Amino acid sequence: MPDPARLTVRGLTKTFGSAQVLTDVELSVLPGEVHGLAGQNGSGKSTLIKIITGLYTPDPGALFEVDGRPIRLPVRWPEVHAAGVSVVHQDLGLLDQLTVSENICVGGFPTRLGRINRTRRDELAARTLDRLGVSLSPARVVGTLTAAQRAEVAIARAMRDLTPGSGLIILDESTRALSGADLEHIHQLLRRIAADGSSALMVSHSLSELMAVTDRMTVLRDGRVAGGGMPTSGLSEQELARRMLGSSVEAVTPRAVAGPQRQGAEGQEGPADPGRPAVTVTGLNGPHLADVSFSVARGEILGLTGLPGSGYEDIAYLVSGAQRAVAGELRTGSAKVNLARGSVAACLRAGVVLVPERRDRDGLAFELSMRDNISLPELGKRGRPWFVARRWQQEDAEAAAATLGIRPRAPHILVKQLSGGNQQKVLLAKWLNTGPALLVLHEPTQAVDIGARTDILHALQRAANTGTSILLVSSEPEDLVATCDRILVYGREVGLRQADAATPEQLIEEIYATSEATAGSLT
Amino acid sequence: MTMSDQTGRPGADTDRSEDPMTNTTPPAGPTPPADAAPPAGPPERATSAGVTTAGVTTAEARTTRAGLARDRLHWFGSRYALVGVWILMAIIYGIVTPHNFLRISTAQAIFGSQSPLLFLSISALCTFVVGEFDLSFAGVMGLAATIIPVLSGLHHMNVALACLIALVSCIACGVVNAFFIVKLGVSSLIVTLGTASLYLGLAELLSNQNTVSVTNPHFAQIALQDFLGLPLSFWYGIVLCAAFAYVIKWTPIGRHIVFVGANREVARLAGINVNRIRVGSYISASIVAALAGIMLVATVGGFDPTASPSYLLPALAAVFLGTAVVMPGQFNPIGTLFGIYFLETGIIGLQLLGYSGWVQDAFYGAGLVAAVTVAHLVRNRTRVA
Repeated sequence: MPDPARLTVRGLTKTFGSAQVLTDVELSVLPGEVHGLAGQNGSGKSTLIKIITGLYTPDPGALFEVDGRPIRLPVRWPEVHAAGVSVVHQDLGLLDQLTVSENICVGGFPTRLGRINRTRRDELAARTLDRLGVSLSPARVVGTLTAAQRAEVAIARAMRDLTPGSGLIILDESTRALSGADLEHIHQLLRRIAADGSSALMVSHSLSELMAVTDRMTVLRDGRVAGGGMPTSGLSEQELARRMLGSSVEAVTPRAVAGPQRQGAEGQEGPADPGRPAVTVTGLNGPHLADVSFSVARGEILGLTGLPGSGYEDIAYLVSGAQRAVAGELRTGSAKVNLARGSVAACLRAGVVLVPERRDRDGLAFELSMRDNISLPELGKRGRPWFVARRWQQEDAEAAAATLGIRPRAPHILVKQLSGGNQQKVLLAKWLNTGPALLVLHEPTQAVDIGARTDILHALQRAANTGTSILLVSSEPEDLVATCDRILVYGREVGLRQADAATPEQLIEEIYATSEATAGSLT
Repeated sequence: MTMSDQTGRPGADTDRSEDPMTNTTPPAGPTPPADAAPPAGPPERATSAGVTTAGVTTAEARTTRAGLARDRLHWFGSRYALVGVWILMAIIYGIVTPHNFLRISTAQAIFGSQSPLLFLSISALCTFVVGEFDLSFAGVMGLAATIIPVLSGLHHMNVALACLIALVSCIACGVVNAFFIVKLGVSSLIVTLGTASLYLGLAELLSNQNTVSVTNPHFAQIALQDFLGLPLSFWYGIVLCAAFAYVIKWTPIGRHIVFVGANREVARLAGINVNRIRVGSYISASIVAALAGIMLVATVGGFDPTASPSYLLPALAAVFLGTAVVMPGQFNPIGTLFGIYFLETGIIGLQLLGYSGWVQDAFYGAGLVAAVTVAHLVRNRTRVA
């Protein structure tokens, strides 16, 4: 192409402390194209956008150009904005009580003698809307608009200062509130913008949307480009999913020992040992999922996965009482819990414990010590109302540090002083220490290094070998295939299906198949 | 201030944060296997081919003796630096005004006069340790300190009964605070700012905006009776602080309280009834504030309701100063005890130097800012460590 790319990023690396979030990322958006930026949560999409908009400083050595002109790093937003780059916010950034014209012109009001010139403001808004082919009165109050119209206003604001036929707008998951015809409408608008010669960079984790609207795509996985500037026409959704989810980039943990009841099939109640029976969940309905039933045998590791956004993650929180279910019942051999009550205490009494995904927010008190965090669930049981001894807390923390390989092995160390992997081990130790009947985990290996991941997965296998039932809710195909005795895949339309996958690649296919079934049932 | 706002339910938040500050540590490649002494881990960790064990870095393992000593020093310094400042302050006063400052009576003035304020600070601590915020404790204390002389002085009621009525009224104040904040979810800052003024107004109503006094001479004895050279009220304060510290450190409910204060969602997911603890904190705060009122009336013999707001800032200053001592970055009763007498030493010293009146206000105000700054810096240092 004779024209230089509208936006070029090359050799971009970003390190936070010891963690490399982006590695040698390359991105090139051509004039007149809609370019997709795809990736799972945590793949580095947001970090990349935050560097482009000047919120984060990249590591030295990166190249950044707009229309062939180099931009000094770190990005100063006014400079890039003046060069013709603008952003549509994730939540659109509209003020409901103001008019369309005020919302479009905010940040660039035409003034005269320091006062806003209302006539010219309304003209500017009308002109911008007209250019985009949007019929909307500038005087309307934004709060009264439909979702699609609101998106149009936000896009019009981003397009306001761009010379027709130039410029780049970045849509950072801006369309996630839309669906169906509204989404289609906005896609047409984006196509019109691109046809006029402007460019759009669209960040999304929705495969179908990216397939529908983009010309080319860049896929990020674990902070690296897993596919750069691929023409969308040559891609299948499956191919895209494979690139997003990845396949065996890391060494897969071999199964150490099969669970004692590896064959424990669905519906089969856990026999033997009445203290640690199987756990059965029936008729679980949540805000985003309907009629889920499954059971976990004693000593079984049951995997649960699905497409992002299908709602399968909720199951971890619903089953453990952290989130209130619409309906549902959980049974262990000795207890029955009504999940519609959403009582953590009742689930804990039944022996169901949760290792949540967000260890910083839901899992651990970062300002307190490792010992205090590990002993928390046991204080009531093992202490007396007037006195809790320190010794067992110390011993438990030391034992956990030894078995899980927590470094440093100092029970008094504050959780915030530990690395991410060690924090995750503390969180796991906290709940393993309670001797649970069912251990529910959500993304236990997210953002931990490979050594910690191995330790964590082995700890799960050991726990299963001693009879603990484990429900592993995860989006990591490698983890699931490596550790689980059985894997269930959830799809919004098809419900739970048992996956028959021996490799991560096969599992990705099966996860993807749930969305095909969805699409099939819709048409 | 630890007004944590963690109300979102974990599962409801499906849009996971990609903020790298919260989920860091990407695959950093295999780390070298644990050197020197591998931990007594289970066998499969050693056997899994090629995959390493814990995330051990060699640097971590090589903690030297000198490093340990430095850590110890830093540990001690971060906890007791302000005690050193206190001693230094006393030495300076001792040098500047040896005849006035270095006397038993000065020590008695410092330690004997502050127990209403100490009780009041502990009242503030009750809500602060669970991550709540209360500005009404001074108003509650004022209400108690008004009800007692009004009932016993003006209406000739038995003093003990008057104290009981004051206590019950204050508990009602705590229940009102808790109702709005915990039950209805209104911002604690706004609610307690409002109720502080409300309780002050009620006290003024009861007293007709006059100073009211207790006529019963024996009442003062419960606070002023001499014991080991100091009034009983001082020892009450010590006992209260010790009891508070014990509950926080050594009982299940105390540990639960600490977790509610540190991270409400973590506490909830551990099966702790968070709201019950929050309500309890407001009610116990009002009980301790009522005790502060009783101490105040017993010590002084009467009370001017319009004076109660002036107790707010000194108590806050002491509580925040306390976060820089013993347990850096955390609200704690021993630190608060220290904070009270630290501030009082400074003020008495300045008064002995001939500054009076304005000194108290200026010192408490400056002390509050200094305290919060020191606590902030100490917390940042522990984060880096």
